Amino acid sequence: MRKATSELLELSLAQAARLVKSKEISPVDLVDASLERIESVNGRLSAYITIFEEEARKVAKAAEIMIVAGHDLGPLHGVPIGLKDNVAVKGFRTTAGSKVLKDWVPDHDATVTERLRRAGAIFVGKLNMHEFAWGGTSDNPHYGAVRNPWNTERFPAGSSGGSGAAVAARTCYGAIGTDTGGSIRLPSAINGVVGIRPTYGRVSNYGIIPLAWSMDTAGPMTRTVEDCAIMFNAIAGHDPKDQSTSRAPVVDYTEDLNRGVRGVRIGVVPGYFFHHLQPPVHNAVKGGLKTLEGLGAAVVDVNIENIHGNISAQLTIEAAEPSAYHQRWLREQPESYGADVRTLLEIGEMLLATHYLQAQRYRTLLRREFLEAFKKVDVFICPTLPFTATKVGEMKVVIENGVEENMLSAIMQFTGVPSLTGLPSLNVPCGFDQEGLPVGMQIIGKPFDEATLFRIGAAFQSATDFHKRAPNI
Amino acid sequence: MASRKEVTPTLVGALAEYAELPLAPGREEVITSMLETWIRDANELSRKMSSAKYWELAPATIFSHPNEAEEGN
Repeated sequence: MRKATSELLELSLAQAARLVKSKEISPVDLVDASLERIESVNGRLSAYITIFEEEARKVAKAAEIMIVAGHDLGPLHGVPIGLKDNVAVKGFRTTAGSKVLKDWVPDHDATVTERLRRAGAIFVGKLNMHEFAWGGTSDNPHYGAVRNPWNTERFPAGSSGGSGAAVAARTCYGAIGTDTGGSIRLPSAINGVVGIRPTYGRVSNYGIIPLAWSMDTAGPMTRTVEDCAIMFNAIAGHDPKDQSTSRAPVVDYTEDLNRGVRGVRIGVVPGYFFHHLQPPVHNAVKGGLKTLEGLGAAVVDVNIENIHGNISAQLTIEAAEPSAYHQRWLREQPESYGADVRTLLEIGEMLLATHYLQAQRYRTLLRREFLEAFKKVDVFICPTLPFTATKVGEMKVVIENGVEENMLSAIMQFTGVPSLTGLPSLNVPCGFDQEGLPVGMQIIGKPFDEATLFRIGAAFQSATDFHKRAPNI
Repeated sequence: MASRKEVTPTLVGALAEYAELPLAPGREEVITSMLETWIRDANELSRKMSSAKYWELAPATIFSHPNEAEEGN
């Protein structure tokens, strides 16, 4: 019997995939439910730039025929997925949220697109984002400001703001985001979903419009950790088309999800991880640590001597590299850029080569300190960002003592650390503030040890229900 | 070494000229205050990283070949 649309949309990705596999639901039902939901909420969220209505229905029909015929494409067979609009899809417009690329139609798939397609995913649309991924608000001047489904007056963070809003609003079962300085983890935290920034080199960037080559990554955003691990299984691994990808072995990331956290050692950096936070963020993440302790993990203070300075290093690199990529367009059509991105690109041309290289030397230092610290702990846990969702359009944020701070620097307080060190990190929802806005915690792991992040996140979700709550939109 | 020279629209104009970056009228003013903060912080990081304590650190941008043998290169 056909399930009601709302019932279908509440399924996790794992549940939906299992029901397709057992032929209890059809990919056509899932895609119809997704498209109906997109139609109903996208006017309020501006989460999608392009909706693949006709294409998705055709593919769903084909997926239905194949599963009925006993031909299973893979773990995502028939599951509706969204892609951030800087990820190439052959034959479909890919704008990167920009006016510069408003008519660009790639003649190739990005590797993540190709791998998800091969695993059976059905793409329902391309997701709105901060222009060229250079910013953390997703206040896009060309395709509309993305809004937070928990409160549409609030921002969804970014740059993968459309991906976060789309997943939280149940318009798709998972989405691909990209993360340079926090662009998967920030919107995951602010929209109350799960999102992973992989180890640098674990997932191919081929076919993705770059922001900063030395820090760019791509990863899944979903409602549950299990869903995230399933999508990650589909996209992780070496890619001959991207020489920055590693040949380190890929494991089954769902294998350890039920192993629990008994004996896991969690590091906390005193004087940094729980300072300069809005109180609800402090309380929710501390509560998250207590939950994990209750499940058998141990929390240990570990000093990272040179953690201060990471925001400047992050901003310097993230300023210089995009300015090199955009150099021609910035001279030929500066008026095509939104005001904030244009300013950032111009600033990136005015920093010195020595600033850039000292920031890159700092990365070596910070990574070395973290690798040393991982002899004492298995992971680190901290807030994903120090505040909950601000109003759409705000460029300043108040974190404590009524002091206004620049949004871009403030938002990277914690996400910059894995970006600089190349370490994997996972956002997991861990609470809400007094206005019902989500809070996320960031679990940082050893290089190529995403499995441990998924294991800890899954244990946390088995003991909490933050991920089960839905925005009322 | 800890210079505190103010970033001014004139300096921004000069930097843009060095970079052969034409700036539309009024852009210097928009850029000035943000650039001031970024350069101040970047200079602070440069002072730290140029200390003798870190002389052996190479930037994270170098080529490395940890798997060269197994990759058969």
